[in-house]
Amino acid sequence: MSTVSETISRGRSARRVRIDGWRWGGRAFLVFMLLYTALPMIWMLLTSIKSGFAAMQFPPQWWPDQPTLDSYQKLLDPQNSVGQDFLRFFWNSLIVSTATTILSVIVAVPAAYAFSRFTFPGRNFLFFAVLLRNMFPAVIFLVPLFILMRAIGLVNTHGSLVLTYLTFGLPLAIWLLKGFYDNIPVQLEQAARIDGATRFQAFVLIVMPLSAPGIIATAIYSFIGAWNEYIYAYTFLSKNEQLTLPVGIQRFFSENTTDFPGLMAASFMMSVPVVVLFLLLQRYFVRALTEGAVKH
Amino acid sequence: MTIVSGKAEARRTLQSARSDVLRKMWEHRADYAYVLPAIAVMLIVIAYPIYYTIELSFFNTPPGLQLRDKIFVGLNNYTAILTSGVFWQVTFNTLIWTVASTFFSFVLGFAAALALHRDFIGRGVLRAILIIPWVISAVAASYIWKWIYHSDFGIIGAVLVELGWAERPPNFIDSVSTVLPSLIVVNIWREFPFAMIMMTAGLQTVPEPLLRAAKVDGANAWQRFWHVTFPHLRNVSTVTILLLAVANFNSFIIPWIMTGGGPSNASHIWITHIYELAFGRQRWGVASAYSVLLFIILMTLGYFYVRALSGNERKDGGA
Repeated sequence: MSTVSETISRGRSARRVRIDGWRWGGRAFLVFMLLYTALPMIWMLLTSIKSGFAAMQFPPQWWPDQPTLDSYQKLLDPQNSVGQDFLRFFWNSLIVSTATTILSVIVAVPAAYAFSRFTFPGRNFLFFAVLLRNMFPAVIFLVPLFILMRAIGLVNTHGSLVLTYLTFGLPLAIWLLKGFYDNIPVQLEQAARIDGATRFQAFVLIVMPLSAPGIIATAIYSFIGAWNEYIYAYTFLSKNEQLTLPVGIQRFFSENTTDFPGLMAASFMMSVPVVVLFLLLQRYFVRALTEGAVKH
Repeated sequence: MTIVSGKAEARRTLQSARSDVLRKMWEHRADYAYVLPAIAVMLIVIAYPIYYTIELSFFNTPPGLQLRDKIFVGLNNYTAILTSGVFWQVTFNTLIWTVASTFFSFVLGFAAALALHRDFIGRGVLRAILIIPWVISAVAASYIWKWIYHSDFGIIGAVLVELGWAERPPNFIDSVSTVLPSLIVVNIWREFPFAMIMMTAGLQTVPEPLLRAAKVDGANAWQRFWHVTFPHLRNVSTVTILLLAVANFNSFIIPWIMTGGGPSNASHIWITHIYELAFGRQRWGVASAYSVLLFIILMTLGYFYVRALSGNERKDGGA
């Protein structure tokens, strides 16, 4: 009797020790990942509030002796030539990203809906053809697109960027949205159609509102993608007043190779809009991204 | 005899299948209107460039890209690539870059997803912090890490010196032997959150009762993971690894901004090399031939990608 309960309790404690081992391992691992992820960003922030002189010291000032917001003031001051450029790049990025986002939602919504609901011949082929676009790097398309843009007179315009961003954002946007439409019961639309709605009305009045989270997620995804895009902007734009942030910052840095606080401040400011957008809406974003690969 | 009749049979069914398809296409003609805008945009910006790249790869085009003056050279551009020493060096770099980045991003991301699976205070915040590197621009990430690796004032070098592990700050990205691993660390920093997101979602689909049953039957944590959790995640893992591999194979910004492929090509990978050939040295023909080769490699990878995806669909009983 006593031996039985003893074995049971011993077994239990042994198991608890094992589980705790895994749990502590997991915690240690998470601490390591947190440091790996956060330390570079913290160092960026700390550098951005140093003076140029304080940043170039060895050994470094682990904590800035005299924190200063000079770099930020310089970047945001419209009277200053650096500030003028930075604000213009920021504005350009905002325009290009917003235009891309609006257009890709308009194009992706009907396409994703069709891929989810209709069974027309070639549906699978077209769907995978759209997905395959994701496989190819920008470089493959760069030379011919450059020629194409030159031929239709779009080189050095934001239109060239919007058009290209649209296509590389579309496949994922369609994929994300299709996952959402797959999860909306067809019966809802059928009910609406029995009540006399056309297919299009059912789509606009019933399906669209239900898929709002998917549309939000798609919009964030397009925005972030366009905001961070570098290679097309770097190739298609050469006039200073049209550059977007990633290219503009690179040009800024190649002219001021030692202004690390300025560069870190610029990198930080460039990251703020996308990080804020992401943190506010991450629930939709993460859900949508995984909807296509994992079905619940 | 049987073969012939079999062939005729096949032809007949093929013909009827074809008219079937045409009829069905006609019946569904309204459906195409929904996908038309997407397809039209894709055709302009994708199909046309692919055709053009293939054409350019058989020509020598003058540096200014005057298309009227291009000269047909047959397969010369291709033989030039395969016989150059740089090609093999760059291919070797690309292999290491792709395999190491994909492997570590996946393992770290998967482990983070597992560690974050159990609820605890601050889990949401921690998860959000871990995802941030994936959201910020690769250009910003490259500059942050370039500053961290700086050969005089970089923080990692300073820490090593302070701890007495090094006499003076090492050259991380200016030395042939350390540049590629250093860049891979940056790439993993940016890529592992993607694997984490995908695997987190995958973990939510593992049926809880099955895990509890395994626990009752005396399976330990590792056995439960290996025999219950992992088999359920096979599909998600395949898709995640393929997407990571393709993204890494195609990466450009981190090596381009941080080193430009140097020192002495030690951090050139295919994409940066193609870019330099095209827009740096203006050797459009060779660059296009490289792109075509790349295209063939990616189509092969794409085949497996589509198979993994459609495997997913089938398991769910089609769409």
